[in-house]
Amino acid sequence: MKRRDFIKKTALATGAITVPYILPTGRLFAQTGSQKAEHVVFVLFAGGVRHQESILQRYLAESQDLDIEGNIMYNMLTGDAPELKVVYGTTPAGQQPGIQPISRILQTPLDQQGTLFPEVRFSKAGTGHFVGLSTGVSGHYGVTQGLRQRPINPTIFEYLRRFGGAKATDVWFVGNGIGNSTPLLNHSEHPDFGYKYAANFFAPNITFGSKGVEFLKGFKVYHPDEELVPIREMQAFLNNSFNLAGKEIPHLYNTDEEKADIKDFIRATFERLENNQVSFPPVTDNGDLSTIGYTTEILRWFKPKLTVVNMSSVDSCHGSYTSYLKSLHRGDHAVGHLWNFIQTQVPEMKDNTIMIIMPEHGRNYEPNPITDENDWFAFDHDSDPNSRRIFTQMVGPNVPANLRVGSEANPVGDAADTVLTIADILGIKQDVLATGLVDFNAMSLFDRI
Amino acid sequence: MNMPTFKRLIPVLLVGLAMGSCTEEKYTYGVNDVIVQPTDLSGKKSKTPEQYLNILYANLNQRAMSANQLVKATDVITSIGDKQVAYETVISKFMNDPDIILPSEESMRNDPESFVKETYQRFFVRVPTEAEKTWMINFINSNPDVTPEHVYYAFAIANEYYFY
Repeated sequence: MKRRDFIKKTALATGAITVPYILPTGRLFAQTGSQKAEHVVFVLFAGGVRHQESILQRYLAESQDLDIEGNIMYNMLTGDAPELKVVYGTTPAGQQPGIQPISRILQTPLDQQGTLFPEVRFSKAGTGHFVGLSTGVSGHYGVTQGLRQRPINPTIFEYLRRFGGAKATDVWFVGNGIGNSTPLLNHSEHPDFGYKYAANFFAPNITFGSKGVEFLKGFKVYHPDEELVPIREMQAFLNNSFNLAGKEIPHLYNTDEEKADIKDFIRATFERLENNQVSFPPVTDNGDLSTIGYTTEILRWFKPKLTVVNMSSVDSCHGSYTSYLKSLHRGDHAVGHLWNFIQTQVPEMKDNTIMIIMPEHGRNYEPNPITDENDWFAFDHDSDPNSRRIFTQMVGPNVPANLRVGSEANPVGDAADTVLTIADILGIKQDVLATGLVDFNAMSLFDRI
Repeated sequence: MNMPTFKRLIPVLLVGLAMGSCTEEKYTYGVNDVIVQPTDLSGKKSKTPEQYLNILYANLNQRAMSANQLVKATDVITSIGDKQVAYETVISKFMNDPDIILPSEESMRNDPESFVKETYQRFFVRVPTEAEKTWMINFINSNPDVTPEHVYYAFAIANEYYFY
């Protein structure tokens, strides 16, 4: 019997005779009564997405003074693609760069499958990436939030582990890299929460990229009984001798079984990579797309209650509008692939997962002076009103289909809403509200419908 | 006092001085109460990933890691959230390196006391207490399948190794 099967069967067997346990909150068992779904996937469609090229589908019309409109996000939004000056696709041999749009994955766009809040606001703090991401996962605008500092208030991961009884491998944060303090987003520095309730984290393009191949692939597997048992016994003795409270190698309170499972996952993913079995999107030519490919492996293996995945390639818009369009188009491709994967490849999550998509902030209305290979202007994000315009999309069970809530004249939704929305889906909204640690204007998006 | 009388007293004075100089002082020694801990670790600081990996590599390979390798290995550690998992996995990868320098099993079995002392010195930069030494020697002697690699691995993943 394989070790993973053994762990699963052992867990099933012990589950039958398990006794009630008290969560750190004092509650007996986790709250499960009012869940809208058992799994949530939150895509931080991040990097700074301009409203004009996404929701408004203006393509080049409201950025480069060219009267060409169209939708380059047709997995997420309903609308026809641009017909002229197509630069966002792939490049067949000998043809114009980006001339071939990527085929759609979803026959029905997500805005028809679920609910779209087209005019959400990033209402406080500066429109910086880390503040935006931190707001997305903590529901709190860290106005004083700095880089190299964990979120000040608890993250949704910590709420779910503390109030929902989720184990460490039930909650995952998948980063697009290790820059911009991204690895710090898996838990806060709040004294009542913190690393004991953190999410597991991978920056898979590094873990499974060339660096991971050099320092992880083919790592030695010790026999669980004949080798690991005496090793653990010696380790326990050495740790007992070193008995200073808090002086331990940082960890996330994964159990020994969970740690072994994560190592098995690392090993299996390298094997699947070698055999071309990782479910990368049909087109995978940037970091966001490969991040999504590895995320599908995490979903397949762990079936997490909560997965947050971060993308960022659209931020190339600081220097290249053409590259931004390509990345936006690929972000849509990534989301389509992810949703399709959940519905077709993970039976435990099919029809039982709500996916939420939200950029961390927008981009400026006016360009900067930098032009790219097409002489198109680039755009930054420095807290102008346009950079506060974002959208939020939800799809899955209990989410009304084909619904738009809000308009430019009547914006509905806030960037801080996502945490309460996820808490609402997973049945811990009241616990999160009772902490008083989310933004006072934040609401579950279900309550805004 | 006239001179003849003084002369008569001189021997008496000399005898008195001689007797006084032979008086033996007696000292009593005591022991202050001391709280005994396994090791005084109160001032320990955690190693950065770079420090941890650099020292680990040097301990296992007896040469320094290149700067390029160190940067890449540090990135890999950063890319995994649970550092215990990350370090254990990287260490077990190091253990697969044919260039690693480990004591022979024969030397460990023939002289476990020296092996234990050297291992504490190598990893924890200190001598083991008598209790630690005794426990480790007994453990090695009573577990014939334990190898120097297993011992090194256990030391490398021990909490004390993460602090300096």
